[in-house]
Amino acid sequence: MYLNKFLAVIYVVASASVVSAASSTAAEASDDMKYWQSADSGAQEAYLEEEVPPGIQVVATALDGPVYANSEGKTLYTWPLIALRNGSTGDRKDGPSNCTDEVLRTEIGFMSPYPAGLVLPYADQGITCAQVWPPVLAPEGAEEVGKWTLVERENGAMQWAYDGFPLYTSDLDKQPGDVLGGTKINSGGDGGVVRVPAGPPADIPPGFDVISSTTGRLLVSENEYSVYTWDGDENNVSNCVAECLVDWTPVRAPQITADSGDWTIIRHPSGINQWAFRGRPLYTHNNDTRSRSFDGSDVPGWHNVYTQRAVTPPAEFTVQDAAFGGQVLADSRGRTIYLYNCRDDSIAQLACDHPNSPQEYRMAICGDGDPEVCQETFPYVVAEPDAKSESSLWSVMVINPNTGRPAASNEDGALHVWAYRNRPVYTYSGDKEPGVTNGDGFGEFIGTRNGYKAFVLRDIFQNNEFRR
Amino acid sequence: MAHILSDITGRHVFSLTLLGSMLAMTGIAEAELPQPYHKDGRIGYVLTERHWAIYETEGATECPQGMNSRGSRDLFAERFPEDSGVERTVVDTRLQLEGYQFHTKTSEDEYKSLPYYEAQSSVSYGLNLDGKVDDNDFTSPDGEEGIDNQLYRALGCIAGYRDDGPYWFFENDFMINNGYNRWMIELSGVDDLVNDDDVTVKTYRGLDPLFTDATGEGFVAGGTQRVDTRWGKSFMEEVQGRIVDGVLMTDPIEQAKIPWSQPGVSGGYHLFNGLQFNLNLTSQEAKGLMGGYVDVDQFNHRFRTNWAMHHQNYGQSASGSEYSALRRLADGYPDPETGANTAISSAVEVTLTQVYIVHPDEQAVTSQETGTQGFQIDP
Repeated sequence: MYLNKFLAVIYVVASASVVSAASSTAAEASDDMKYWQSADSGAQEAYLEEEVPPGIQVVATALDGPVYANSEGKTLYTWPLIALRNGSTGDRKDGPSNCTDEVLRTEIGFMSPYPAGLVLPYADQGITCAQVWPPVLAPEGAEEVGKWTLVERENGAMQWAYDGFPLYTSDLDKQPGDVLGGTKINSGGDGGVVRVPAGPPADIPPGFDVISSTTGRLLVSENEYSVYTWDGDENNVSNCVAECLVDWTPVRAPQITADSGDWTIIRHPSGINQWAFRGRPLYTHNNDTRSRSFDGSDVPGWHNVYTQRAVTPPAEFTVQDAAFGGQVLADSRGRTIYLYNCRDDSIAQLACDHPNSPQEYRMAICGDGDPEVCQETFPYVVAEPDAKSESSLWSVMVINPNTGRPAASNEDGALHVWAYRNRPVYTYSGDKEPGVTNGDGFGEFIGTRNGYKAFVLRDIFQNNEFRR
Repeated sequence: MAHILSDITGRHVFSLTLLGSMLAMTGIAEAELPQPYHKDGRIGYVLTERHWAIYETEGATECPQGMNSRGSRDLFAERFPEDSGVERTVVDTRLQLEGYQFHTKTSEDEYKSLPYYEAQSSVSYGLNLDGKVDDNDFTSPDGEEGIDNQLYRALGCIAGYRDDGPYWFFENDFMINNGYNRWMIELSGVDDLVNDDDVTVKTYRGLDPLFTDATGEGFVAGGTQRVDTRWGKSFMEEVQGRIVDGVLMTDPIEQAKIPWSQPGVSGGYHLFNGLQFNLNLTSQEAKGLMGGYVDVDQFNHRFRTNWAMHHQNYGQSASGSEYSALRRLADGYPDPETGANTAISSAVEVTLTQVYIVHPDEQAVTSQETGTQGFQIDP
């Protein structure tokens, strides 16, 4: 595979790591940590250094790996154009910004079946796209460098663009490492035109790729087949021979190359060159029939490989096998966890999935407008007293369940609930036992546009097309 | 017995039986295939085509008033007309409609100002599920009386369910292309595929893609399917049956869960109470009907979680009005407390293609299950 294509490739690149890459801990190799790493792991994705303008930096993040940030550490996002059902919005590559100072008042009607012109819930608040997504403005005299170019806004200000796409920050992000405005996980067009954090390329050799998933940054081959490591190997030594090779194939490395960062070239006992990542020889699983597979990790001693996993969720959560063919995150009773997705149909496609955004969207789906029905249908996951999370992705929020909005902790009826990426998570009343995901797709466009999606960790039949 | 082979990249998995069938397609090696296909008294079939049984005549005489026109846009225009003179807001229009779609709970149709057309025919495909001949029953095209298929009466005049309609087409397409929906039956104890008074029928969810012909659109016998014993337990059922003149008939399965989902949704299914089969068997395929009382609440839940209002509009239906009709015409499994029927008689036209079903103890030992059904996260 890689041998044919990259026989003569000399793999020497400048690389950097936000935090020096640590070798996997014993905990990371245990079965219940297959998806996560401990908070003190320190494993972070290494990246290729690129020329950047003054004031731009790279920041490590918990789920999306290294991202570009402004001088305050706020994550930078692009808004690539996506064709919706009745039209397109977002930014065209090498084009101007379409996120403007125009006050948003009505829906644009790009999402079938609704007509254009419906008045938005926040129409009287004078909200603009540029308020929610402030453009990353360049100082006077700024010069383009590398992939960083300048585009002129309607008011004449110059805005930074990365790889041809204008850049923004999110009003949801408050501190360095926050990526609350979007993720690198793929999104289908029916979920709306989403923002994507911009980041430097991962430091991986040709022939590999990194996919953003619900559990971290999954290392795969260039055609998205999973790669694995084996506990039977030693540091930079493969012991997979004879019968082991019936099910596993060493990932070949070029004959002429050089070690770099996390990557080493080892000599497999058969005589071929083999890639090793952080000292662990890499293999593909001969019986993986689908890309992004976790099937190989069902074999004791074998593990999928991540450049960085997400940090373990709070102890109140569990993992459950699910009848759809995979695994989900669940509460302490085993009930599937759901995330709520929402994007309005304004030209700016603003998110409405956050407690600070209009709650009418969610209330319509979970309760036909009735907050009490909502709490019965998709109840919040109430946190134990004094609950804390070691993962920055998880937090405890105080919510007024009748409004769905943030509340003071001493407010009557306020609930302390678990939140993922600063948004409450839910269970579904129709799930009567562990491993059931009846609430998945509850809402518009199978729950991606205005509705609920199960917190899927693994999905064997759908190539682990990780949901946002 | 099937044996898994892999190429050096591990990307392509074939079985010897698949290879045998590929040779058979050339017409030169059929005699080399194991014969009969029900060797050791066992034969498997995998679902390769599936549609709700809707009896259609030329000119649609069963729908004398025409097709229903109750798509989402129709409902929107009826309730929130553009020329109403009232400023239309997202909250008061779109979100009202979305709430209605997901919270319809009664047989009372909120949009009764729009007509709802039921099928008027006295003829329908289906099975006599209750063994009786009642006033509401249909007669089959072959003249059999007592056919129970009230789902046809409820949905027969919705374009989406009729031949080549979007539900008719896409739900079959999703069944084929979404591996979650791989569903199969296995007959065991078969002495004779034409007449056998006692056979056992088991249902499974399979793990593998379907085996297609060279066009990629047809299906051929001789493929293999591994049984999904880890995630597919809830799809496993067993029932006794008999084969009479080449037709498999079974006792009712008390309740069968059948995977029925489109891509992107985790776990759509229908619940059939008293599911029975009536399938013409050959060594290559099993074709005919399966019928049962489909759970109305689950039917509606699956429909609204699988089909956006955009898609429902294509089908010229809406989950709310469908649900009301199904509740109105439900004819089985009364709720013990309310007495209201919870399920509606139905029939499904199916084609299943012969497949070699590989049970775990027959599979090449390649991956071992963890056996873990759930575990606590240990930070």
